[in-house]
Amino acid sequence: MNKQEARNLLMDYMYGELDPGQVRALEEFMQNDPELKEEFNELNETRSLLQHLPVQSPEEQLVMMAPEENRSQTASDAKSWWSIVSNALFPKQGFGRFAFGVATFAFLFIVTGALTDMKVSVTDGAFSLTFGEQPAEQTGFTAEQVQLIVSQVQQENADMINEYIESAQAQQQLQFEQTLSTFADYFNDQRASDWELFNYGLSSLEETTYNRFEQTDQVLGEIIQTVSTN
Amino acid sequence: MEDAQLVRDFLGGNHQAFNKLIDRWQDRIHHFAYRYFASNDDAAEITQKTFIKAYQKLDTLDDVQKFGSWLYRIANNLCLDELKRAGRRKSTSLEALKTAPQSETASSADSKLMRSEAMVLLHKALLQLPNEQRMVVIMKEYEGLTFREIAEILDESENTIKSRMYYGLRALKKTFDSWNINKEVFNYE
Repeated sequence: MNKQEARNLLMDYMYGELDPGQVRALEEFMQNDPELKEEFNELNETRSLLQHLPVQSPEEQLVMMAPEENRSQTASDAKSWWSIVSNALFPKQGFGRFAFGVATFAFLFIVTGALTDMKVSVTDGAFSLTFGEQPAEQTGFTAEQVQLIVSQVQQENADMINEYIESAQAQQQLQFEQTLSTFADYFNDQRASDWELFNYGLSSLEETTYNRFEQTDQVLGEIIQTVSTN
Repeated sequence: MEDAQLVRDFLGGNHQAFNKLIDRWQDRIHHFAYRYFASNDDAAEITQKTFIKAYQKLDTLDDVQKFGSWLYRIANNLCLDELKRAGRRKSTSLEALKTAPQSETASSADSKLMRSEAMVLLHKALLQLPNEQRMVVIMKEYEGLTFREIAEILDESENTIKSRMYYGLRALKKTFDSWNINKEVFNYE
């Protein structure tokens, strides 16, 4: 036995889980290895300190207790009977469960429809679902009443269109005037800017011409002076 | 009557047998959870949940002779779930406990107070252990389970369990030394 093997047995030794042969071998080893013996004593003392840890008992009895025998037995029987039937009939997961749900809904829909005399109709894109007896047909208006209603509607429509056109015209007029005013302002600004630019160009040209005249006079003067000197 | 017989009775339809199992195991599971969380409320909640789960799942127990280990496994898993669920709150609380206590001189406190404080510090030291080591120390030191039983409950090898126990005790010794907790404190009159 080497030291590592002896150390591996320390926990078993401390808690009495070694067989007698191993106990003797370990105790002999520790007699010759004071360091390991000291380590064992320290751990054992730590262990003995842990025994002083206080503990609190539950303050009250558990809420949960098993139900009465007879009642629970009956419930258990009923549950097992229902479990057998449900396991046999109903799909438990995935698409089967979904399909079963859809089929159940369709079945209930049909049965309800049969019991309530349900009628489904589709006319001109309109879908209607009615239960029970159909409502009595509504009696129509007389020709004069229809004529009167139509003329009223036409008059209202005409008034509404006139009002709309007038409003649109007023709005267009207002927009046109605003555009014209904006354009006039812009034109004036542009004209003033052009005039200023033209004046600046003219004065610039005048200045340039004057400078060139001066330069020409100066050159001519120098030539005359040179000729007269020669 | 042994636990195994009570389990068989329950599975045979005698639901009162489960009440006897509760009477027999309630205190042990409560103590186990209390030592783990150092909170009576948490311990009561874990105990309650453990027996509810046991009641629902007892028919899945393969070996009725191992009812105790199976119950501890449920309690252990619920403790870990509780740690995950309220991890932040509990870890904060554990962090607060990591602050070393102010040591008092023997002359400034009477023996009763010193012993009382030392008991609180014992629990604080235990709470400072990593979860895996703490669970093993509690199961071994207080519940009296064998290393083999603990290995089965935690689904680990026996050597792993012994190693956690060894390092857990060493860590506790280090903490006790730094906090001046020794046997003289408890033997002091």
